[in-house]
This record gives sequence, C-alpha cells and structure tokens, in this order.
Amino acid sequence: MKELCLKINSLLFWPILFLFVFIPIYPKFPLLNVSGTFVAVRLEDIFIAIVIAAWFISIILSGKIKEFLESKINQVIILFLGIGLLSLFSAIFLTHTSSLHLGLLHWLRRLEFILLLPVIASVVKTKKQLYIILLTLSLVLLIVNIYAFGQQHLDWPVVSTTNSEFAKGLILRLTPDARVNATFAGHYDFAAFLAMAFCLMVPLFFAVKKRFKLWILGLGVVSSVVLVMTSARVSFVAAIFGIITALLLTGKKKFLLLLFIILLVILIYPSNLRNRLVSTVTVNLLKQWDSYQGKTDDQKKRAKLNIPTLAIKTSSTSAQTSTFASGSALPTDITPGEPVDTTELGVYRSFSIRLNIEWPRAILAFIKNPFLGTGYSSLGIATDNDLLRSLGEVGILGTAAFALVLIAVSKRIWRIYKESVGFIRYFSAGVLSLILAFLFNSLFIDVFEASKVASLFWMVLGLTLATKNFR
Amino acid sequence: MVPMKYLFVIFSIILLIYMFWPGPGKIFDFPALPNSAKSNLEGDTIQIPNVSAYFSNNYRDFAVWFYSQHYQENTFFFLPPLRLNHPPEYSWIAIKRHTDSTYLEELIYPLRDSLYINGLELFNPDKTPKFWGVIPFEVDGKLWDTKVTLRFYPSSFWARFLVWTGISVSILFLYRLGRKILL
Repeated sequence: MKELCLKINSLLFWPILFLFVFIPIYPKFPLLNVSGTFVAVRLEDIFIAIVIAAWFISIILSGKIKEFLESKINQVIILFLGIGLLSLFSAIFLTHTSSLHLGLLHWLRRLEFILLLPVIASVVKTKKQLYIILLTLSLVLLIVNIYAFGQQHLDWPVVSTTNSEFAKGLILRLTPDARVNATFAGHYDFAAFLAMAFCLMVPLFFAVKKRFKLWILGLGVVSSVVLVMTSARVSFVAAIFGIITALLLTGKKKFLLLLFIILLVILIYPSNLRNRLVSTVTVNLLKQWDSYQGKTDDQKKRAKLNIPTLAIKTSSTSAQTSTFASGSALPTDITPGEPVDTTELGVYRSFSIRLNIEWPRAILAFIKNPFLGTGYSSLGIATDNDLLRSLGEVGILGTAAFALVLIAVSKRIWRIYKESVGFIRYFSAGVLSLILAFLFNSLFIDVFEASKVASLFWMVLGLTLATKNFR
Repeated sequence: MVPMKYLFVIFSIILLIYMFWPGPGKIFDFPALPNSAKSNLEGDTIQIPNVSAYFSNNYRDFAVWFYSQHYQENTFFFLPPLRLNHPPEYSWIAIKRHTDSTYLEELIYPLRDSLYINGLELFNPDKTPKFWGVIPFEVDGKLWDTKVTLRFYPSSFWARFLVWTGISVSILFLYRLGRKILL
C-alpha cells in the first residue's frame, strides 16, 4: 500500500506539469457561477483540487503526514489557513461583514493557491523534472506572447474578468486603445506574469548552454515588447526591480549598464506605457493637468461637489446636465475637475480609485477588527494593495501568519541559493528576485489573489523548495 | 524583564474582560432622538432585526454625538466607541437595501458590537434645500428635515468566546512559530 502511494505521488508529476501549462494558457471561462460575486469556479480550480486531493490521500496513506506536519513551512501555512477560518467566523458572527458562502469561497481560493507549494515541493524529485517544467514554462510563455500579438494585430478573441459583464465569459475583441491580456484576467495579471518570467529568464540565461541562451534571448525580446503593449506601469517597474536583483544575486553587475540602455530605449520610444509613466509623475506626483471645466454654468457648479453627478438645483434641463462631454473627443463620462487628456485621465482614475475608495475601505476594516479583520470577501473583489487587503480581511494575526509563510519560504530558498552551485544557484537567485518583484507588485495590485499568477507564484516557490530533495 | 508568557496571560485576561464587559444587547437599549417622531414605515420596525428610525430636525453632528454618548453609557466603559465614516452607498449593506443616505457612520467597540447611524438630510442646517425639488418629511401632519436610521449589530456570548479563544491560541502559535522561523 505504502509503495503504491509513493508511486501515485511520483506519478503526480505529470498532472503538475499539466497544471503549469493549463493554468496560464486556458482563458478565464467560468464553469460555475457563485451568487453575490463575479468570481467564478473555473476548470483550473477543479484540476487543482483533484491534484491536491490525490496528493493529500497519497501522503496520508504512505505515512508521510507526520513528516509533512513537522515542516515549519507547512505548520505556518496551516496556521495561516486556520486564522483565515477564525477571521471568517468572526466576520459572520461578530462583525457581520461577510456571508458564509462568499467568505468560504475566498478562503478556499487561498487554500487552493497556497497548497500548491507543498504539493510541488514534495512531488518534483529530480533535476530532470525541473528542466522539463522550466522548458515547458518557456513554451507557455512563447504561446501567451504570440496570443497577445494576435489579440493586438489579428483580432483574436479576448476573455477577461475585469468587470462583472466580461466575467460571464464573453468573447471580446480589443478596441484600439485597449491593452492586451492574452489568456489572463486582464492586462494587470498578464504583466505580472511577464515580470515573473523576466526574473527567471535573466539569471537562467547565464546558466544554460549556448543554444538555450538564444532561446531565452528571443523569449526576452518578445516578452519585452508584449510587456510594453500591456502598458502596465507597476509590473514594468517590478520587472526592472526583479531583473536588477537577479543580476546582483548572480554577480553580473556589468549587465546593469545594458539593462539601463534597454530601459532608456523603451522609455524614449513612443508608447502608451511611456505616456502612462510620464503621466504618473505629472498627475499623481506633481498634480498637474488640464482640468475639464464643464460646458455650462451648471456643470461648473457641479465641479465643486464631491460627487459632480448628484442632482442639484440647476437652471437647465436635465438632458443638458446628464452628459458632460458628449459630442467631443473627451470620454462621455468625464466630470469637471478630471484631466482632459485621455492617458492622464486613466492614470488619474487608476490612482484615485485606490486612494479614495479601495485603500480607505481596507483601513476602516482593519480599525474595525485589528486582530482578525472583517473576513474574506468583505472588501469586495479588489483593494489593489495586498498588504492593506490582508490587514483589512484577516487583520494583524492573519497578515503576520502570511508574512511568516513568505519569510520561511524565502529563508529556505536563500539557503538553497547559498549552498548550491551552477544551475540551481541561478534558478534560486531568479526565484528570490521573483519574490521581491511579486511583493513590489502587491503594493498596487492584488497579485496574491489573482488566480493565475498567484497559483504560478506558489508553484514556482514549491519547485525551488523541491531542489533541496533532488536525487 | 517580564517574561513573554506573563505578558501574554495579562493581555488575554484584559481582552477577555473587555470582550465580555456588559453592554447594550438590542436596538431598544438606545433612546430615541430628542424631539423626534419614530418611523413606523415598513423596514424601520420589525422586518429587519435591530433597526429603528427617527424623523427629527437633528443634524449629523448632534445625532452621532448623542448616540456615541449613550453607547458609552450603556457599555459602562471609560472610552467612547470608535467613530468610522463610511460611504453613504454602503447603507444598502449596513442598514438595508434601498436606504437613502447622505451620511453613514459607525460607532464601534471592536470585537464586541457596533451601531450604524444612517442620516438622510435633505436640507442644510440653515433650511436651504440640498438637492433639487426636495420637500420635508411629513409624519402625522408634522414636518421634519432629517431622518436618522439606526442598526445595531450585537454579538452572542459564544461568538465572542470562540473568537477570544481563537485569538489567544493564534497569538500563542504565531509566537512559537515566529521564534522558530525568525531566530
């Protein structure tokens, strides 16, 4: 029986390899809708659940459960999930801020993502398996990049979950100003995926043979162009940050100069990304923009209100006041005070939503219950800052447990990096820089809850931990 | 130096006392606003638990101060409740659906219970209308400028006990695991 279980455990490598392909490539089609949210159960959730269940049964029947429970990383993961459940209980019965089914759904999502770490850490056992997975991931990267080009230039279908209507699985096409998302939920998680890829590609470039160098170089060039096409500022900066860290960890400091030259070219060449980066400085930092003043006296009066679309006493007919900028090149929903430039408007709104709605909501939730937060799902779909989201949803206890998971894993990977040589050393250096880039991204995007990148993050971390046990 | 376990025990006891300190248990433990008419409209009485509403000429500053005072007195606690300002649109969740609102505040003793105060102020305190075409509320022939709706969220003994136990156990495990991982 024990041998059979161990055999099952080793056979799980193939389903795991399948997950490394399926999770990034399969578009965000919903399988089962859940009432009260547009987060849906998808096919990938079912596959992940099957793999986790098979792995769990195999470690119980093979008597390895004790070994599993003795690991500090697994202990702190269990603690994190336990505090999540306690927080949910408190949210339902104490603060009354979460419903059972939604809270449980979001808790199960965390369980699903984070359990991929111990699963992969225990299933992958040889260097050859690591190579197969990395080679497969590089092919996946090429496929999603080609798909992104197809969306931009060949009108290939887009499946997105950036709003409740899109999340129904609608087949869309990119409009001229829209940003590519390939097979991901939106441009934001696709760009986060590309940033992760850069963190791995750069150090591995120095670790592989010449023919693979060319392959990685080609992938790097294609991924750079696609990353610019996403116009995702935060992930772009995260990628640069990750690459710099990777170069420093691998002792390739002279390549920093090359990186800065490439960066300069990207920033000089006209693109939406460049415009958005410039607007970030002018709008978000310097607060300088040409404001829309409104066309009529009523609109100018409304410009002074907190909510310019409120019904106030006006002298004109409602038809004139209901639409601010119809018949012009401006967005029809622009309100007085907002920037007239389309790029600046996008940047302005992107930051305003975080600063005025999402982040204060999370801070209020944290104040409401500093120990346990107001429970999973209580902050809605997004906070766009994972630290604030964690503090708001699971409080200081849940956040501390999550931080301990990351610290424990990072310390283990750091040890692998220090003690290993050659390919594994370069790979672990890449993963360390990936963790930092991911954390940077998490300051402005909920990457730990974006299913595709969150799953891949824990899977790659698990893969790195697996190298410790290579035969 | 005081050992950590003593600090932990002291903290747990203080938290236990705080969480089980007596306080209001239902909405009727809070008085009506002075010079007001209680709303008998559907949704303001028995349809939704722990909701009550009052028409009056009391504005936000007074209404929130009034209930903050009474909440503290009912709780016999030396500190006033925390005052949280929520977006008015949250009233649909915190009070009930279709609750009109111009402000929504929450008075809360964390880990115990909370009182939401939703205000609908159609006029400014100087009696000028805030919005186009508004008229005062009319209740039994009397006119009022504002409506304040309250919703109280109490918590049960068992919920508090389980949360207190969970917090204490979590801190203990976090401390032990944290030492193992960080040191």
